[in-house]
Amino acid sequence: MKTFLTFALTAALTFITGCGKRGPELKLLAWSEYVPQSVIDGFTKETGIRVHYETFASNEEMLTKLLAGANRYDVIQPSEYAVEALIKAGQLAPLDAARVPNLGNLAPEFRAFAHDPGNKFSIPWMAGTVGIVVNTELVKEPVNSFADVFQEKYKGRIIGVKDSRELVSWALATLGRSCNDVTPETLAAAKPILAKWIPLVKVWDSDSPKTALLNGDVWIGVVWSGEAALLWQQNKKFRYVLPAEGAHRFIDSLAIPVNAANADGAHQFINYCLRPEVSKLISDAFPYTNPNAAARKLLSPEQLANPASYPPDSKLEIFRDIGKAAAQVDKLVTDLKNAQ
Amino acid sequence: MIFPWTSADDSSRKHPTSPRAWLLLAPLLGWLALFVVAPTLILLAVSFCQRDELGRIVWSFTTENYARLFDATYWNIFVRSVGYAALTTLLCLVGGYPVAWFIARQTEPARSRWLLLVMIPFWASFLVRTFAWITILKSEGLLNGLLQSLRLISVPAELLYTPGAVVVGLVYTYLPFAILPIYASVEKMDRQLLEAAADLGAHPFATFRKVILPLTRPGIMAAVLLVFVPAVGMFAISDLLGGARVPLIGNVIENQFLQARNWPFGAALGMVLLALFALTAWLGFGRKRGAVAS
Repeated sequence: MKTFLTFALTAALTFITGCGKRGPELKLLAWSEYVPQSVIDGFTKETGIRVHYETFASNEEMLTKLLAGANRYDVIQPSEYAVEALIKAGQLAPLDAARVPNLGNLAPEFRAFAHDPGNKFSIPWMAGTVGIVVNTELVKEPVNSFADVFQEKYKGRIIGVKDSRELVSWALATLGRSCNDVTPETLAAAKPILAKWIPLVKVWDSDSPKTALLNGDVWIGVVWSGEAALLWQQNKKFRYVLPAEGAHRFIDSLAIPVNAANADGAHQFINYCLRPEVSKLISDAFPYTNPNAAARKLLSPEQLANPASYPPDSKLEIFRDIGKAAAQVDKLVTDLKNAQ
Repeated sequence: MIFPWTSADDSSRKHPTSPRAWLLLAPLLGWLALFVVAPTLILLAVSFCQRDELGRIVWSFTTENYARLFDATYWNIFVRSVGYAALTTLLCLVGGYPVAWFIARQTEPARSRWLLLVMIPFWASFLVRTFAWITILKSEGLLNGLLQSLRLISVPAELLYTPGAVVVGLVYTYLPFAILPIYASVEKMDRQLLEAAADLGAHPFATFRKVILPLTRPGIMAAVLLVFVPAVGMFAISDLLGGARVPLIGNVIENQFLQARNWPFGAALGMVLLALFALTAWLGFGRKRGAVAS
């Protein structure tokens, strides 16, 4: 009985204090480990708007949470192909450029993407690539391509991100095809390549692929550039290269869902994040490619020299929405992982 | 009824259910209707639906989600998941029974202390405890360090990201769920029956097989259900300790909801899993109760 009373009291108190904290709020649905607490605190201090940061680990998970409709969000953080799918489905509210004056800080090349020309619906947050990271203490031979990575001698020493579309795009690059050329024919052509690669891989991890590399469980991997940049910061033995067969880049963006409750706060938040000194904080914590030209001027030479954050210029494709073909990609990868 | 392991002879006591009993049961029944029956019906409905480009559910009837289940890949994954869960259950029983027996034979205060020890792991989050296993098993981890310093091995053994690591993680997670129900049935057992068996000349092994085992059977069956059912559907352990290399059915279902954005197919897989659990429960309890009644 006493326990029950304590429980009831706690519940009641939580309820009362919860109701007491009135005030504007902003519901942010963003990638885990991607929005520094300092940015959120700074925004709340300046505007009085409290930020609820809810996380996801893949674009698909974000779409699931957004479209399930149990929660309404004010700002979301989709990548380029999810932005495209959401625009197609009429799920994004057009941005009011007049309320985002800091838009001008973006480098021109980040303002002309085919999935959202002129940033009508989305603002780039960070960009990155998917490439090869090598522990040069343990791997002495040069590794510059997918063909160099997926060799029998590295069996059980390789990590890849746990993302079916990524994996298939590497095989497509090997075939000389575009990462967006996902058809039953190209998938059939990719299948034998993937069937050879998949048994060589020791770990699939999208959340923190750097962990297994740091732990020494694997020597070589195909990972997000931000993870490789963090590895390089910790120890220069981790080298990052873009695969010779071809690579693609991703553009993570901020956007406002069509049913946002606080669209005004959402515009304020986006504009705040585009300030050079705020954007620098994001780069400090998560060293991806910063699309904010004004913020890049504030970065240290060491940050700008990080080859994983700012790889040499090369022509990089971006993912486009492939609609229902995503399920075929998932089926192919499930089949192959099961078959090994 | 709710705790079938507490007593072996529940089914022999039959009372007509009075209106007052129904009133007492109402909160439980309401809870079950709201949070078990209703979601299951929704899942069933979704499993016969289609989806659009964005993965939203389209309410038009199809059986294609169930037709896809006959794909060899999914069968294979089902069989593998059941295999992992069965091995986990077996290891939990073999490891948990002696512990439960030991605890049940202690004095009352000692018993509480031992039970507390069994339950202490629940004070920490399941994910934190699983990450701790990564620290133990990784190639520069605690276990490899210990083995190397004892000069039992010279190069680090491959422990993490193997099927063995998955089984270790599963057994570790579910062992308390085996110990507790077995303990409850051992504790309730009449000790005089053991003396009687010994007086009548039964070997310890014969006593165990013919007296102890049948009397603690409800506890064992409860342990089997409590370990096997969640172990079949587990996906986090095979991701974290197995490196997500070989998919289990829990991973496939998770993928349908979060990656492939195919809720109807995920729902169909979920319904099959539910049918499997119902079958396990029926084999474990329903059939035996029928046998007792006849």
